[in-house]
Amino acid sequence: MNEQTRVSCVRTENHDDLAKIFRRGVEQLPSLLPRTLPRQVVIKPNLCDITAWETGVTTDPRWIGILAREMRAIRPDVRLRVVESDAISAYKSFRSCDETFERLGFRAAARDAGVDLVNLSTCDTIEIRLDGIPQALRIPQLLLEEMYFISIANLKLHGYTRMTGVLKNSVGLLADAEISALHPYLSVLISRLHRLCSPDLCIIDGRIGLDGGGPILGRPVRMDTVLLGDDAIAVDEAACLLMGIPSDEVDHLVQTAKDFERKLGAIEVIGDLRPSPFRFDGPKIFDAIQAKFGNRRLHQQMELFSNRWIDRGFRFRYDPLSVARSAILRLVRNRRA
Amino acid sequence: MLERLRVGVVGSGTVLERYHIPAVNAVPEVVRSIVVDVDSNRAERIALKYGFPISSSELSDVARHADIAIVLVPNGLHAPVSCELLNQGIHVLCEKPMARNSEECKAMIEASVRGKAKLCIGHNRRFQQHVKLAKQIIDKGLIGEVVGVTAEEGSSDDWPRTASYFDPVISGGGALLDVGIHSIDLIRWFAGEFKEIKYEGNGSEKTVESDASISFNLSNGASGKVVVSRTRSLAQKLTLIGSEGFIEVGLWSPNLGLRCVKGKAFQNFHRLDVAVARRPPSDGSFVEQLREFVSAIKEGHEVLVTGQVGMAAVEVVRRAYRGCSEDFISRNSRPE
Repeated sequence: MNEQTRVSCVRTENHDDLAKIFRRGVEQLPSLLPRTLPRQVVIKPNLCDITAWETGVTTDPRWIGILAREMRAIRPDVRLRVVESDAISAYKSFRSCDETFERLGFRAAARDAGVDLVNLSTCDTIEIRLDGIPQALRIPQLLLEEMYFISIANLKLHGYTRMTGVLKNSVGLLADAEISALHPYLSVLISRLHRLCSPDLCIIDGRIGLDGGGPILGRPVRMDTVLLGDDAIAVDEAACLLMGIPSDEVDHLVQTAKDFERKLGAIEVIGDLRPSPFRFDGPKIFDAIQAKFGNRRLHQQMELFSNRWIDRGFRFRYDPLSVARSAILRLVRNRRA
Repeated sequence: MLERLRVGVVGSGTVLERYHIPAVNAVPEVVRSIVVDVDSNRAERIALKYGFPISSSELSDVARHADIAIVLVPNGLHAPVSCELLNQGIHVLCEKPMARNSEECKAMIEASVRGKAKLCIGHNRRFQQHVKLAKQIIDKGLIGEVVGVTAEEGSSDDWPRTASYFDPVISGGGALLDVGIHSIDLIRWFAGEFKEIKYEGNGSEKTVESDASISFNLSNGASGKVVVSRTRSLAQKLTLIGSEGFIEVGLWSPNLGLRCVKGKAFQNFHRLDVAVARRPPSDGSFVEQLREFVSAIKEGHEVLVTGQVGMAAVEVVRRAYRGCSEDFISRNSRPE
């Protein structure tokens, strides 16, 4: 069996000792870590919403310190950067990456570990066209540089792609927040992004998974598992095994395997992988998350409402005639209707 | 300092209408003031058409009505016109090439110092977004050390050339000085100074060259070739080959072809066609050029393309011509 298709699976009930979990993963698969590193290491967590890691939605910030130590043990002068971009969440609300870094504890973790945080939406970017994607993509110039790339994903379901994992995590490399126009091409996009920036170290933190509708709506499920590997396709396949999803039902996984001339189902999982089928039931939302979204929606509606009246007040103050005229016209129109 | 700077244009040919008028319109810190042309009817027509309140055939009128002059006259008149304006304290944006030879360039720089006025040379391509991106990529060392350069630019029908373009005395040179100077300037900006230069061209006693090429070495040891033509369609691109990749800069298109051997994105891609993210819909380099010039005047900083930069590019062309034939030099650079 090919070395590339081996995945290290670490079972743990202790969710706090990440360093030990990572070490166990490396002991099971020693080829996981390289002997040498380039000057730059880039870490891409999954920070798709401002929601704590315990919900299974985002990455635990403690990974930053663990990975910084491991990388510096290989090359002491390595420059580490944690990257993420702004996003429009599934709830259609804008999520600033800088705010996410701050509120999820990544800024503090990065400061402690001596790591830089990079907002990919505001750094230097370029525009490229990739085969099969109808529109140009804005990507960070960082991808043109030499780097060792670590992707840390969560174990989640996803309404469009069935599951998210390491491959899907790369969508966050796009600098633009609004990518809904790309949703019809998501499988091809994910495959092309994997070609553009394939992770050298892949981690799926499945201590807590998220079942339900995903990727931010659902219920946290205790899975007590962390998957590690150096091949994103294999690690995502192992995640499918863990969640009880047939890998050939995951379009982007099938597409990427096809594009890279790989055969699905040819992975070897080292360690104790105990499948626990996730339930994909979109409409059900974890109460705390639902409450938070409700609060955000209310806040947005209040803001819209109050802004509208503020605008009207100003218009009336400066131009009462036109306000009166438009009000009369509206009244007449309503009457006719 | 004045709120809005009054702009006068000297010379009203194609380049004014096609590029400089849209730039003047797009920069709110300037206001249209005067059009000067030897043909007073044309000056009046242009002034009326584009909303300049004054037209004239006298250069001396510019000093009374403008703070900035955009000099768009034939090459041979760049120096005398610019010097007269600079001496009177008028800031000058002079089209490329700066002048026909080093002596004229030096005179312009001295006039700028004497008149305490800014002098900017119109190497507008430095302001093109994709060229700036290329510079950024090269400066970051993403293609390593530049080891080779090639540039090709030319077409028979890209520009309506008047008789002055072909007169050796008025133009001071042919395709190399007119077209090639853009690439020469960019190569200097990207990779360094020219050292040895070997020129080949088809100029004759009576007319300037329509096709030319120079082979050269740069101060960092890189070698290269620039090919220019007014008769053939060429590749219209500048390629810099580095020790760790290459970059192709479109000279007529806003695109870059790129390979950085060590770059993450190139583990699976041989090359990427890259463009500037969220670029403006059309070439805004003339707007950027004018905006930077106005900002330099108002804030007192140096312009990006100074007289020295313009002169260095002209010197490369002169050295190329000089290597070709002494007759050609004496014919084309009388003051030297």
